[in-house]
Amino acid sequence: MTTHSYLSRRSLLGLAGLGVGAAALSACGGPSTTSGSGSGAASTDPNGPSFDGVQPAKQITFWSNHPGNSEAVTRQIIQKFTASTGITVNLVTAGSTYEEVAQKFQAAQAGGQLPDVVVFSDVWWFRYYTQNSIIPLANALKAAGVDPTDYRDGLYADYQYAGAQWAVPWARSTPLFYYNKSDWKKAGLPDRAPKTWAEFAEWAPKLQAVAGAGQHAYEHPALADYAGWTLQNILWGYGGGWSKKDSFDITCDTDQSVAALQYVQDSVYKGKWAGVSNKSATDDLAAGACSATIGSTGSLVGIQKAVAGKFQVGVGFLPGGPVSQSPVCPTGGAGVGIPKGIKPENQLAAAKFIGYLTNPESTVAFSQATGYMPVRKSADTSSLLAANPLIGTAIKQLDVTRTQDYARVFLPGADQEMAKSVAQIVTQQADVKQAMSSLKGTLEQIYTTQVKPHLA
Amino acid sequence: MSNALAGAAVARRPRVSPRILREWALFGLLAFPNIALILMFVYRPLLTNVYYSTLDWTLGSSTARVIGLDNYREFFTGPDAATVLGTTAIFTVTTVGGSMLLGLLLATVLNRRLVGRTFARATVFAPYVLSGVGVGLVWTFIFDPVTGVLAGLLRMAGLGSPQWFLQPDLSLTMVIIVYVWKNLGYCAVIYLAAMQAVDRDLLEAAAIDGAGPVRTFVSIVWPLLSPTSFFLLLTTILGSLQAFDLIRIMTPLGNGTTTLMYDAYLQAFGGYNRAGYSAAIATILFVILLAMTVVQLRVLERRVHYA
Amino acid sequence: MSLDTMPPLAATDVAPPVRRRRNRRRPDDGGVGRPTLLGTIVGGYLPLALATLIIALPLVWMVLGSFKTSGEVLSQHVVLLPHHPSFAAYSRASSQVNFPRLFLNSTIVTAAGSIIKVVLAITTAYALVFVRFPAKKWIFLGILVALMVPSQVSLLPNYVLIAGMGGVNTYWGIVLPGLGTAFGTFLLRQHFLSLPKEILEAAEIDGAGHLTRMMRIVVPISTPTIATVALVTIVNEWNDYIWPLIITNDDSRMTLPVGLTLLKNVEGDPSSYPILMAGAIVVIVPVLVVFAFLQRYIVAGLTQGAVK
Repeated sequence: MTTHSYLSRRSLLGLAGLGVGAAALSACGGPSTTSGSGSGAASTDPNGPSFDGVQPAKQITFWSNHPGNSEAVTRQIIQKFTASTGITVNLVTAGSTYEEVAQKFQAAQAGGQLPDVVVFSDVWWFRYYTQNSIIPLANALKAAGVDPTDYRDGLYADYQYAGAQWAVPWARSTPLFYYNKSDWKKAGLPDRAPKTWAEFAEWAPKLQAVAGAGQHAYEHPALADYAGWTLQNILWGYGGGWSKKDSFDITCDTDQSVAALQYVQDSVYKGKWAGVSNKSATDDLAAGACSATIGSTGSLVGIQKAVAGKFQVGVGFLPGGPVSQSPVCPTGGAGVGIPKGIKPENQLAAAKFIGYLTNPESTVAFSQATGYMPVRKSADTSSLLAANPLIGTAIKQLDVTRTQDYARVFLPGADQEMAKSVAQIVTQQADVKQAMSSLKGTLEQIYTTQVKPHLA
Repeated sequence: MSNALAGAAVARRPRVSPRILREWALFGLLAFPNIALILMFVYRPLLTNVYYSTLDWTLGSSTARVIGLDNYREFFTGPDAATVLGTTAIFTVTTVGGSMLLGLLLATVLNRRLVGRTFARATVFAPYVLSGVGVGLVWTFIFDPVTGVLAGLLRMAGLGSPQWFLQPDLSLTMVIIVYVWKNLGYCAVIYLAAMQAVDRDLLEAAAIDGAGPVRTFVSIVWPLLSPTSFFLLLTTILGSLQAFDLIRIMTPLGNGTTTLMYDAYLQAFGGYNRAGYSAAIATILFVILLAMTVVQLRVLERRVHYA
Repeated sequence: MSLDTMPPLAATDVAPPVRRRRNRRRPDDGGVGRPTLLGTIVGGYLPLALATLIIALPLVWMVLGSFKTSGEVLSQHVVLLPHHPSFAAYSRASSQVNFPRLFLNSTIVTAAGSIIKVVLAITTAYALVFVRFPAKKWIFLGILVALMVPSQVSLLPNYVLIAGMGGVNTYWGIVLPGLGTAFGTFLLRQHFLSLPKEILEAAEIDGAGHLTRMMRIVVPISTPTIATVALVTIVNEWNDYIWPLIITNDDSRMTLPVGLTLLKNVEGDPSSYPILMAGAIVVIVPVLVVFAFLQRYIVAGLTQGAVK
């Protein structure tokens, strides 16, 4: 027994009609539209807004994902800050990853409550700059009495673009060469990291010879684990890179870059001494599935705990390549910045807070709790070294770091595209040159459509 | 048999009398809060989304450019469309087929009076109520080719583990397995409910006529289950096309597992920040969902057996 | 096609009513003919046990993992049982996350959201089936289409709206956008259509108004379907992640799944895995308890429905 109301094309049109009624409701929020190209972002004063006569707000909000399980130590620092300045800081968990914080921040841009201080990773701050949603910090830091020259130069310079400073370093890390000391011993190798990738290519067969079944001398970091970040090391060593230094000139398909990635591919398919991690190379190292890998300094303490005496972990500088031996270590991790769309009083209080959050004392306390690098030159690192001698290597390596390639950190989605291309090379044995040419095309398209129109 | 009341209500042309007005008022009282909420929080965003899909808009940016249908054009002419639509089709067909088939088999077992079936029924339904995030987490630990328990078992058998997270095909297979694991209990329990309603006299009659269990199932039980099958088909297809949590937790890059739904997420929030393009993909997904439903409802009209 | 012929959730409602003689017991009532012991084992217990194991083992594995050390979790050799089982992971998890507060928030949000949604679903479905109104089919169609809107779509517009209304970091801000219920309305409408109309007609003749009929007749005899809707609703509210993440700011309103993220470390700290598993269990257990409670109604209802 059926009635005769058929769901026909006409009924669907009817539905669309019903929708028009609701369209009026949907007007609020979202972007304003133009028919020309997007707006340039860098039209502001490179020193940022002026804070003459501005009194700092009494209460601010800080959005963090607590990198390195840093919530407890951040709260301690906040307490001291409040005690010394009278400004209270509301610490907000804005997600577990930088992507989630970004999602929340960008949603808030579309109309909502903005934080006064926000954390962002290396690949995010430039987008906020192009989207015109953060302020240059020079004036703010000055008004807050923060001395910028005490920040480690390389880490501080990471946030410079168009003559302005867009963030200060906070939870910063670099990649580090990790190795299994007992495997090293078994293979009769000197107790240090290899100086160059060529040297490691000589060592690797020896390691492989003493390796157990299914074990590799080396594991390339997992593709979902920011593969584009650590690979810069090999690319730079070979004189290549994702893009030319401080430029959007994509160079991932030059002879040097291709040679570097050919080395990576050969380590898997020809030398057969390297694998690719599925989830996390540092986990695999801790589990004894590989003798060496490259991972973030932030993983150091966790690895030591997980190894739990099964073997000794060694660390060293990242190996160099045939063209460049140093600097071949990219910086990484996160910084903090101040949104644009909030009151000057809040921006000033925020500047005071980020100065305090990263002052020599705080940065040491923070490093101690998390394994991130101290970001100040005048920080007293002796307590860190006493607690964990391996951290000394990581800190020393900070002197030989290099600012990351624009192509990776400034192009939205580039990191994902790089990981996908590398995946083809190391898991499907794709032709390196071809994969890189196609990557270049993709990256250039991202640049022309999404970045260039927003640059002044 | 079911809709005589509603049918009658439609057939009787309502004359607007006070009694009918009262009915209308009551209808408003009962139904309009829900309808208003749906308009406000489902339809309004849907339309906003369609509007966004005509923009070249970087998420977080306060300005955007109207580009008409360019986003759609880009999707369908670009290299993405074939892969994404293919992945979506494979994922949907296998997860829907897998959970329905296994659910049906499981239901036939659960329908027998076996000791412990209450416990079994609760167990198989349990994954359905768990969060995708938690389930994804557990299974990544299981599938990990180095430290996972699956790899450990394979090693004991002298075998190597597949590289689940590296090979696109394997990643898709893995996510499909977990998705079916999570959802087959839903199908099983609903099939079970339907089977318990099958008239026993019918089955006995079939047995007396000498029909074996397979024959009985094919010619008596299965046709009686067809309304349930169509209900399940509709809801599981909707679910599969909108699957998200598991894919995001297990394969964040979407290497081999980028379905339409996940692509919409990746394009807006996964690093690309292309809010307009993402909105276009979401709109395409919506149209597909709508089309699937229309087709199913029409087939349903023609095919379903009602006793 | 006729929307009215769409099958309801439990085909108890569509398939012919069963005249099962409940007092007549059979050793095995699923198969036909006389089952042999071997047949019962091979065709019954074996697949039953297998399926139960496949479903249960991953969950058991997670529970075991939460009692292990990170070294035992991160091992190439399968460590079946923790050597020194300890609650260390749980205590570390609870030192990082204010579980009691988050549990309270989740409970409030889930309870408020589910109760309102179930009530709205019942009233809407009742109105759609039993109350006279023009263009009811269109309204139903509109509700059905709402089922097909991907959740991704509503995130940004709803955030803008709720934030504009001052709903950031409030309970109502978490609950409100999800209150409109298409799924529950859909299920209950299909179910109501299948109810024996004679009962309702009799009640109408006796002078019972709509509200009486709804509360006294329709709701009581629909317990299994309502319990199903309640279960699905509770599960969704409890497990919701992205929306509460975006709309809440701190512990005072944050829900459990969001709090779970506090246990994750972006730097991939391998020593945190047992803690993550412990956290996941804390989130999962309450849903399982609710499920264990509700499923008795659902299952009891299923057999009841078969007798009616």
